[in-house]
Amino acid sequence: MFYTLLQASSWTIFIGRFHPALVHFPIGFLLLAALLEIGRRTGKVPVQESTIRFILFVSAVGATIACICGYLLSLGGGYDIELLDNHMWQGIGVAVFAWIAWLIKSERLGAKIPFSSVIYLPAFLLATVLTLTAGHDGGSLTHGQGYLTQYTPEPFRGLAGMPPIQEKADEIKPIANVQQALVYDDIVQPILQARCAQCHNANKQKGDLRVDQLALLLKGGEGGPALLPGKGSESDLIKRCLLDESDDDHMPPKGKPQLTPDQITLLSWWIDQGAPADKKVSELKTNEAVTPALASLSKGAAPGKPVKQESAIANVKVEPASEQAIASLRKAGLIVNTLSQDQNLIEVSAVNAPNFDDKQMELLKPVSTQIAWLKLGDTKITDAALEQIAKFPNLNKLHLEHTGISDKGVHALKGVKLLEYLNVVDTKVGDEGLRGIAGIKGLRSVYVWQSAVTDSAVSQVSRQNPGLSVVNGFTEAAVAAFLKAGDTTAIKPETKKL
Amino acid sequence: MEKLLKELQHADLQRQTRRHFLQSAGFGLGALGLGSLLGSCSSSSAESVGASDAANARIPQFLPKAKRVIYIHMAGAPSQLELFDYKPELLKYHGQDCPAEFLEGKKFAFIQGVPKMLGPQSKFAQYGQSGAWMSDYVPYLQTVADEITFLKAMHTDQFNHAPAQLLMHTGSARLGRPSLGAWSVYGLGSENQNLPGFIVLASGGQQPDAGKSVYGSGFLPSVYQGVQCRTGGDPVLYVSDPNGMNRDMRKQTIDAINEINRQTYEEVQDPEILTRISQYEMAFRMQMSVPEVMDVSKEPQFILDMYGVKPGEGTFAMNCLLARKLVENDVRFVQLFDWGWDGHGTSKDHNVEGGLRKKCRESDQPVAALIKDLKMRGLLEETLIIWGAEFGRTPMQENRNGLVMPFMGRDHHLDAFTMWMAGGGVKQGYSHGETDELGYYGVKNRVHVHDLQATILHLMGFNHEKFTYPFQGRNFRLTDTEGKVVKEIVA
Repeated sequence: MFYTLLQASSWTIFIGRFHPALVHFPIGFLLLAALLEIGRRTGKVPVQESTIRFILFVSAVGATIACICGYLLSLGGGYDIELLDNHMWQGIGVAVFAWIAWLIKSERLGAKIPFSSVIYLPAFLLATVLTLTAGHDGGSLTHGQGYLTQYTPEPFRGLAGMPPIQEKADEIKPIANVQQALVYDDIVQPILQARCAQCHNANKQKGDLRVDQLALLLKGGEGGPALLPGKGSESDLIKRCLLDESDDDHMPPKGKPQLTPDQITLLSWWIDQGAPADKKVSELKTNEAVTPALASLSKGAAPGKPVKQESAIANVKVEPASEQAIASLRKAGLIVNTLSQDQNLIEVSAVNAPNFDDKQMELLKPVSTQIAWLKLGDTKITDAALEQIAKFPNLNKLHLEHTGISDKGVHALKGVKLLEYLNVVDTKVGDEGLRGIAGIKGLRSVYVWQSAVTDSAVSQVSRQNPGLSVVNGFTEAAVAAFLKAGDTTAIKPETKKL
Repeated sequence: MEKLLKELQHADLQRQTRRHFLQSAGFGLGALGLGSLLGSCSSSSAESVGASDAANARIPQFLPKAKRVIYIHMAGAPSQLELFDYKPELLKYHGQDCPAEFLEGKKFAFIQGVPKMLGPQSKFAQYGQSGAWMSDYVPYLQTVADEITFLKAMHTDQFNHAPAQLLMHTGSARLGRPSLGAWSVYGLGSENQNLPGFIVLASGGQQPDAGKSVYGSGFLPSVYQGVQCRTGGDPVLYVSDPNGMNRDMRKQTIDAINEINRQTYEEVQDPEILTRISQYEMAFRMQMSVPEVMDVSKEPQFILDMYGVKPGEGTFAMNCLLARKLVENDVRFVQLFDWGWDGHGTSKDHNVEGGLRKKCRESDQPVAALIKDLKMRGLLEETLIIWGAEFGRTPMQENRNGLVMPFMGRDHHLDAFTMWMAGGGVKQGYSHGETDELGYYGVKNRVHVHDLQATILHLMGFNHEKFTYPFQGRNFRLTDTEGKVVKEIVA
């Protein structure tokens, strides 16, 4: 009844939104009055009664205004009713008891109130305590429950009996036996929890929607039911996921993690089957579209998440290289670029330093952990430089083309665990060297054109290392074959009669 | 020469006159006041850009997969229906009236009334382990089918050449935005200090319809714009020393001019002056480096044969070979334009039968050779090759002015066309997207121009939504407010 006194309008909301700003005045004033009262009574602070009276008056007026604004704000809706109720009555309590305390203190009216000296302290105390509890509940309403203590560190966390900080449950765990899985509990809810529940839960209901219970999904939100059992493609839940990501009605909102096509297929299929609450996968009809999506649930990855061949250094993070070291590299004519944000790995290229030689390798020492891509092609380095390079733990790509290196130097690279790319085009590296480096586990490509590596070694190493691509180049004969393959001058362009 | 030195002396003297002193004093005081005013407004503005130094790189958001780009633009737009998008159904409807639903609410550049459907004019087969569909127009490309990722359901917003080319290269159909190449050099920096980071080579007898803006720097400092090199003769006009001028004297002249420019910069603080200074210095270095890198006479004969070029020619094939040489010398972005693909059916050269076949014969072999050549040098996996045009061509035969064209031709089509990419972090032997049975609309995995641009930036390590440049009060990006990375094609 109380909530419908006024209708929400732009005016009520405008005034209402001042509530979070205004509430801080009565909170501050009341606490100040309480401190002064303590100071006065203990005799530590020489303060006049009239001062405290004035502060109490301001607190009472402020609390009253805050109550009115708060009520107007609550008309906008979207808050947890129980918490809101508590907050409101506590707030009103603050105002009432502040007024009582002031009345007792007042010169004209104080004397007329019976038992005034007995009531004063409890009223003041109540007003102060209620300020704190109302303030806390107000914070919970605005930021969500548990906001204040969410990041309590250990050991206080353990002492307070709080569970350890949980990583967000965004990734979906694989299901061991998909056929026996409950469709709603084991497939649908985990998807909704991972992608939708952040904004549609018990404490926060954007658009008045909650996804944590089936009944609430059926009830829906502002736009009507979230799903129509039996009609997946007509359900709001599915339609919004399928809308273009830039569309205002698209869900999840742009920038948030999106559902994969497989996840949408699964939700749509479940709704098509009548959105049952307690059926197993084996009890429902499957179709061509949903079978692969269901199958993907058993693999470790989230449904539809493709397995990517990531670079070996994708997750490597190192300390940033010292500015001084980088400056000295640049002074020597080397290009130094940071490869990506947060990782601090660098790329060093000697494209502008053709005279770079073994002696200058010393310059690279201070950045040995940061170097991931190194381009020393067309320089004067020899095998001696490779002994140094072998000590770069995060080396991932190495260009040595058109240099004087040979098998001896390349052998030193065997211990570079993250090496994926090696270019020894136009060098003295031979079969022996190729066989040696083929042992590097993660190595993906080696380029050996115009080196001393023979074709038979290339095919042998390729056969023995399926993950490694050894690329040799063209000879005159291969070019002739290529030219022949594409030669269509013998074939006359046909004129089709149509 | 004497004249130049005199001019120099004159300019120097001019700087010292009393009037100049007063002028700069007045300017200086005014600027001081203005500067403090502006400074207080712009203290929170984004990065300031060192225009003088294109070598400065910004840090990518994630690990780049492509370090360099060769963008091959077939200006005029070849027909996807004769090259890659195999539509046997279309053959069945050949010569029949176009269904009304294809025409309702649609506008075409030239088609009027009810056109007839036009079946594919080429023969298709599947090639490579990946079974890529290609036609007999591109016999050489068939040999590298397993290196390529096709985007079969591309679509755009523009059906005229110039705006469509602008949209493709700058993200906007209107003038004024930086091109993809300019963004790339702005982002990753220029590596070889003796060569521009962004080089443009054109063939086919004409420049693209949208002009130089398709490789311009827009609102980025002009140091990032594409530098066009000529393929035949002097690669850059007037880059060689005139008679009687030696390199030392040239150096002194440039140093003197730059000194004056530097003083002017200190006076007026226009970043374009810094660009000018660095371009003078670059031009001086290019005198040595450009003739060397553009000279193919030292290439072995079998490499020339592979591309099908003879030294001295200014052909598309030559440009492909030069592109490899430039990329080998760490040029960040090489843009090739080839004109003459606009197959309306209006003449012997512009149609989808003999005319298109002829253009393919000139370009198919060098493009395939480029892929093979980069691969054996270990450059393909770091270099992204993009092939495509500004739009596609209609499944209907063009009927300009309601007439029957003298040759088989197709009109501009924005709802479906094919592009392909190879190397630099894209899948090998993959096809993304499908069109309907007649090749009119994309029905699966459509990719808009902005999505393509977002994907290219992604491959270079940049989040297209965060890679911005502040201009006129807001942060601009290549994809403006659109674009979604096509993750499926990323290897």
